[in-house]
Amino acid sequence: MSEELTMPRLSDTMEQGTIGRWLKREGESFHEGDVIAEIETDKATMDFQAYEDGTMLRILVGDGESAALGAPIAIIGAEGEEVPADAPAAASANGGGRDNGAAEPAPAAEPEAEAKEEAPVATVTEEAPSDGGGLRASPIARRMADAGGLDLRTLAGKGTGPDGRIVKADVEKALAGGVTPAPAAPAAAQAAPPPPGEGDDVRELTPMLKAVARRMAESKATVPHFYVSSEIDMTRALELRAELNEALADSGEKVSVNDLIVRACAQALVQHPQAHRSYVDGHHVYHSHVHVGIAVALDDGLIVPVLRDADTKGVRRLAAETRDLVKRARDGKLRQSEIEGATFTVSNMGMFDVAAFSAIINPPESTILAVSSTVERAVVRDGAVVPRKIMSVTLSCDHRACSGADGARLLQTVKRHLEAPTLLLA
Amino acid sequence: MADVTYREALRLALDEELGRDQDVFLMGEEIGRFEGSYKVTAGLWQKYGATRVRETPISEEGFVGAGIGAAMMGLRPVIEIMTINFILVAMDQVINHAAKIRYMFGGKVGVPLVIRAPGGAGAQLTAQHSQSLEAWFAGCPGLKVVSPATPADAYGMLKTAIRDDDPVLFCENLVLYNLTGALPENGDGLVPLGRAAIAREGTDLTLVAHSYTVQRALRVADRLSQDGISVEVVDLRSLRPLDVDTVAESVRKTNRVLVAEEGWSTYGVGAELAARLQRVCFDDLDAPVERVGQAEVPMPYAKPLELAALPLESKIEAAARSLLAECGL
Repeated sequence: MSEELTMPRLSDTMEQGTIGRWLKREGESFHEGDVIAEIETDKATMDFQAYEDGTMLRILVGDGESAALGAPIAIIGAEGEEVPADAPAAASANGGGRDNGAAEPAPAAEPEAEAKEEAPVATVTEEAPSDGGGLRASPIARRMADAGGLDLRTLAGKGTGPDGRIVKADVEKALAGGVTPAPAAPAAAQAAPPPPGEGDDVRELTPMLKAVARRMAESKATVPHFYVSSEIDMTRALELRAELNEALADSGEKVSVNDLIVRACAQALVQHPQAHRSYVDGHHVYHSHVHVGIAVALDDGLIVPVLRDADTKGVRRLAAETRDLVKRARDGKLRQSEIEGATFTVSNMGMFDVAAFSAIINPPESTILAVSSTVERAVVRDGAVVPRKIMSVTLSCDHRACSGADGARLLQTVKRHLEAPTLLLA
Repeated sequence: MADVTYREALRLALDEELGRDQDVFLMGEEIGRFEGSYKVTAGLWQKYGATRVRETPISEEGFVGAGIGAAMMGLRPVIEIMTINFILVAMDQVINHAAKIRYMFGGKVGVPLVIRAPGGAGAQLTAQHSQSLEAWFAGCPGLKVVSPATPADAYGMLKTAIRDDDPVLFCENLVLYNLTGALPENGDGLVPLGRAAIAREGTDLTLVAHSYTVQRALRVADRLSQDGISVEVVDLRSLRPLDVDTVAESVRKTNRVLVAEEGWSTYGVGAELAARLQRVCFDDLDAPVERVGQAEVPMPYAKPLELAALPLESKIEAAARSLLAECGL
């Protein structure tokens, strides 16, 4: 008995998925647990495993194409089984009118543009859910709104044509009165982009970049940020690191400055529950586990793998786990569970010769530590000017979750642990 | 030159072409001594004689067929069908022969034939004598179908049609014969086939028409202008080839289009234009293409019913206003 394979929910924030590539072609059989496709969510590329033994009968959504959650992406069944007559046609088929059951060529072979053009209703674009459903507008009204940077949704319900159709006159009036930004729907908060100039290269965002853009805009718009900065003397921490790495030389392991910082933060978070809670719907949620996210820049994107229960792990283990996570992050091989659930994030730009910066909180987390470069500076110690290695850090805090003092205390403890680094080994 | 009537413009064109080219001859019922039912051929029989202006019996299939044969042999016949309604008995000659001969002879033989056919309604001539059938012919490849709306176009297009190497159905409207207008002062006055004209410029609505309906459209535009509505009137002049480019250019300016015609709307000129416009200027439309045509009935005899069935100015105006109201104007 054939059945439809649907787009699985692979993350909480996922609204659609993109087929990275199919690993099973039409006609190919597979066993339970086999990876049959790679699916890109808004955060990562995930393996899609078969729930049971079967055969790929028809691929509905081809490589590189997207589908909404729950939308059929393939039809599977027993070997040699015919695809039922009423089965949906492949997304790349022409209007769904192909021969029943005929094995289609792999969608990968079809030109991408064509496949996109003829995608079925189930295939959605990022904008589709917020399109206001059946917004009626005349073709010229749509074109003028587009050219004028007017979001037609702002005129929803205000069209003066038949059945509320938005007509040219409505758009002219709206444009004459200045462009109003789209209402509430947060995902629609993007203002009209400047029209691309001649020779500009306009590119579609990847699902990941779209998610980053959306979530960061949401965060800045809805989370009241405040910032606490400090300077940390890293001289002794760097000495400790050198000592550790020398001792670990034979094992091939290495501890980075970032590992020490993560360790210090994890310890501090345990000590300051006030700075380790989230504001959710009028409540404070105190986190019982310390899960530290590490922001990792990719060639085109940003991902935050999570070190779970970081407070329970020593520097050496944190270093090993981080190495593994970062490598797999760059290869796009992280599992969903490895990129969600952080309660705190470290964003380290020390390697970029950065004097200072502040980071945007990744909700529902309430704090994020921005780490800048460590530089050698002349510092007064006990009345004498001495050279010390100074690192500047900035903690961004959600003011709904913690007060300035909460943030300052957390930062103070991080500083204390890094300046007296034997505490990191305690 | 003083203004002439549409009828006189046609006569002048025939006279000049008969005088210019010995291969041109006229053929039709009562066109000689009686000077034609509508007096378009007045004086030509006396001037050119019975060989060049040939009287025929009531035998449309016969004389249209004879005209096709003569044209294949190199002459340039201009056939007058008393009214377009009578061409139906010669339909096989027109559609199956005149239109297809060049194709079926591999391009080696043409049919330089003009068929003049008055049509239209409004004179209580009842169902069989009150038809605008031009859209039927305009659907047939191999034919050119034209329908000038002014004396200047009637003159210039008839001359062009006579000089054309392929068959042309030249549709006139009875109501137009007494319309007066100026002929061009200079030049040969030839008007190309297949090109529409902007009869009046405007910015709010494109009103497309052909033949006598152009005159109605112009009056509707006048009336709407009193309310500050600016209507552009496009005179199609030719139905095949159909000059969609000119109409589309106008629609790109006005964003709204109404097609008015005296024939039935179903499968009519407006239907064809609506289909083509949505393809070439979909993104310029502010409302669906609107059409006004004759009521979908055989034309009634009774005067009030005939008026009710015709696409009179009041109906065109109402359709225009309703279309504009949809667009907030």
